[in-house]
Amino acid sequence: MKPLMELIDLTTRFHTQDGVVNAVNGISYPLEPGEILGIVGESGCGKSVHALSIMRLIQTPPGEIASGKVWFDGRDLLKLTEKEMRSVRGREIAMVFQDPLSSLNPVYTVGFQISEALILHKHMSKKQARERSIELLNLVGIPEPQKRYDAFPHQFSGGMRQRAMIAMALSCEPKLLIADEPTTALDVTIQAQIIDLVIKLQSEINMAVMWITHDLGIVAEMVRRINVMYAGFIVERGDVDDIYNKTCHPYTLGLLRSLPSIDESPGTKLVSIPGLPPDLISLPTGCPFFARCAFRVEQCRVERPELEPVDNAGHSVSCWRWREVLGANAA
Amino acid sequence: MTEIISESDVLTDFAVREHRSLWLDAWRRLISNRTAMLGLVVVTIFILSAVGAHFFWTYDAKTDLDYSSKLLAPTLRVSEGSTEAHWFGTDKLGRDIFRRVVHGGWNSLRVGLVAVAISLAVGGLLGLLAGFFESTELNKWESAGFMALVAGGLGALPAWIARQNLQIVLFALLGVVSVLRPAWFTGKKWLRTAAFAGLGLLIGGLSGLWVAPAVGLVCAVTGLAIGLVTAKPLNGKLFSDIVMRVMDVILSFPSYLLAIAIVAFLGPGLEKGMIAIGVVGIPIYARLARSAVLSVTQKEYILAAQSVGEAHGRILFRHIVPNILSPIIVQATMGLANAILSAAALGFLGLGAIPPEPEWGAMLGDSYKYLSSGAWWAVLYPGLAIMFSVLGFNLLGDGLRDALDPKMRV
Repeated sequence: MKPLMELIDLTTRFHTQDGVVNAVNGISYPLEPGEILGIVGESGCGKSVHALSIMRLIQTPPGEIASGKVWFDGRDLLKLTEKEMRSVRGREIAMVFQDPLSSLNPVYTVGFQISEALILHKHMSKKQARERSIELLNLVGIPEPQKRYDAFPHQFSGGMRQRAMIAMALSCEPKLLIADEPTTALDVTIQAQIIDLVIKLQSEINMAVMWITHDLGIVAEMVRRINVMYAGFIVERGDVDDIYNKTCHPYTLGLLRSLPSIDESPGTKLVSIPGLPPDLISLPTGCPFFARCAFRVEQCRVERPELEPVDNAGHSVSCWRWREVLGANAA
Repeated sequence: MTEIISESDVLTDFAVREHRSLWLDAWRRLISNRTAMLGLVVVTIFILSAVGAHFFWTYDAKTDLDYSSKLLAPTLRVSEGSTEAHWFGTDKLGRDIFRRVVHGGWNSLRVGLVAVAISLAVGGLLGLLAGFFESTELNKWESAGFMALVAGGLGALPAWIARQNLQIVLFALLGVVSVLRPAWFTGKKWLRTAAFAGLGLLIGGLSGLWVAPAVGLVCAVTGLAIGLVTAKPLNGKLFSDIVMRVMDVILSFPSYLLAIAIVAFLGPGLEKGMIAIGVVGIPIYARLARSAVLSVTQKEYILAAQSVGEAHGRILFRHIVPNILSPIIVQATMGLANAILSAAALGFLGLGAIPPEPEWGAMLGDSYKYLSSGAWWAVLYPGLAIMFSVLGFNLLGDGLRDALDPKMRV
């Protein structure tokens, strides 16, 4: 199948007073239509920046998309004019953000903000947009949508605001929904509701979803494929089962081991990955995970590993010693 | 057996409150604030009396003169040989002070509104653009417009010196050319710099020479500087820097001194006073608008609006402007008080309204000499009028600040 979107060597930098921050360092991967892709990594690993780069919403200056291609539906998004890009945003790629409390404009009603995208992209009349928005609010499970249409964001709870944001993102039936940690600010029961909602809607209108999170537990139950990111690189990529059961990268292994489990006896210490991620201003010449890795050898310090296939099913890893990691994991 | 409550009942139990708009909320908070209401009452009386006097109470300042009744003390009775009671007394020319105070209100109101409108329109817009485009990539037309604004705006100085407004247009054109034809001299940066510097020098120098050689020299130097600026590629940060540094220069003058200097240049008159007070107020609004925009652009809902595919202008005017309105409204209300005070100061110095036009400051200036001979009423009533109008706007402004503060929302 022809991929819906293909990133080739996407590189994003920020020019700051301290130097050039290498936030995203040449990442490449395809995304198929209707696929749910999880992007996993710790804070500051470039997950959000790479998503904003796809949307071309990086603040310039100080940010800059230094190189690469983002093929989306046969066009390179990075080559489009700003005007063409605006018709892509919202209509073909939509985005849901982390903090539902601040992602709705406090001076407008929730309904008005959903209608706005419909009027802009679908050229609906105000009345049509209102009807469609009420349908959408109903679809995302907001009770009494007719009355809620005229409510202001401060009259909504966090979970309801996130539902409204999802309604807004889905209003033009995009081909790709980028969800940037949409459940981080919500409590666990609401998290589960939002995830169920997105999965349900995803299968109804067959859009692809990119779910960005730092929580491996969440992605396990919803996505098919995972990209693990570290210091602006993709370090491991594959199907969920392969990532969990045939882990090939020491960083992924560390992430999995640091997940708390309900079966553990009380008092068991959580395993954490020692050290801190590298300074993105002066990246090490070798593997970026070198300083924290339990499997490191001399080669890792001097030579940066490329993403190489583990099998034919699309599982790939960038580690010189993935065979040893896989072996240790199996043992 | 216990009855199971159906789901629809539970959902409606989840109360949907009445949806009040933000403005209605603010209004309710305002009317529950006593001092703000006092301010509102004073301001309303002031506005009604000023407007009413202007439209329904004819007064011809030029023919109002009656030496036979000069410096009469305030009284409620109609004195002999007069047609009306002088409630506030009369001044040195026998003019009824009550009438002049009420009519002076119209002038003060006009000065306040026009001056604040000038400051707000110019300063607010500059601050808005500077703040928003500081971290936004400019498209070709935006940068051409901004370059024209920068070059034309800076060109206003030599144009003023040489008294040739054509210069502003020429410099603005230079700015447009520098952005729309960036391909000229690419790869030869020094050539581009030299070309623009030369053009700026020519535009400034030639039109200055038209007046006098010395003027030509001064204008050539400023033109050279403008040429050097236009030779640089413009981005939002540079635009913001230039605008805000110009604002800093204006702020570095004491405000009354600058207003007096502008009136001295433009000539006396109420209209000139309005312009002077308006220009002096520009940087306040520019700074306020810029800082408010900078904090709002960091909010996620702006990113969300961008991710829906909205254009720059729409984001700026539909999403950012409504969110920065409250500090601007508060500042404008306080600014009205300030403008009335400045107009009175200019009038007192004889630079604002031209006599015999009724104006509170000018009335004070006319009458303070008679204080020693006991005519306190000629000074007291215009003084009280200034005090109450300024106090009214300040109280209202304070109340508005409390009412519009989003953190006060309950």
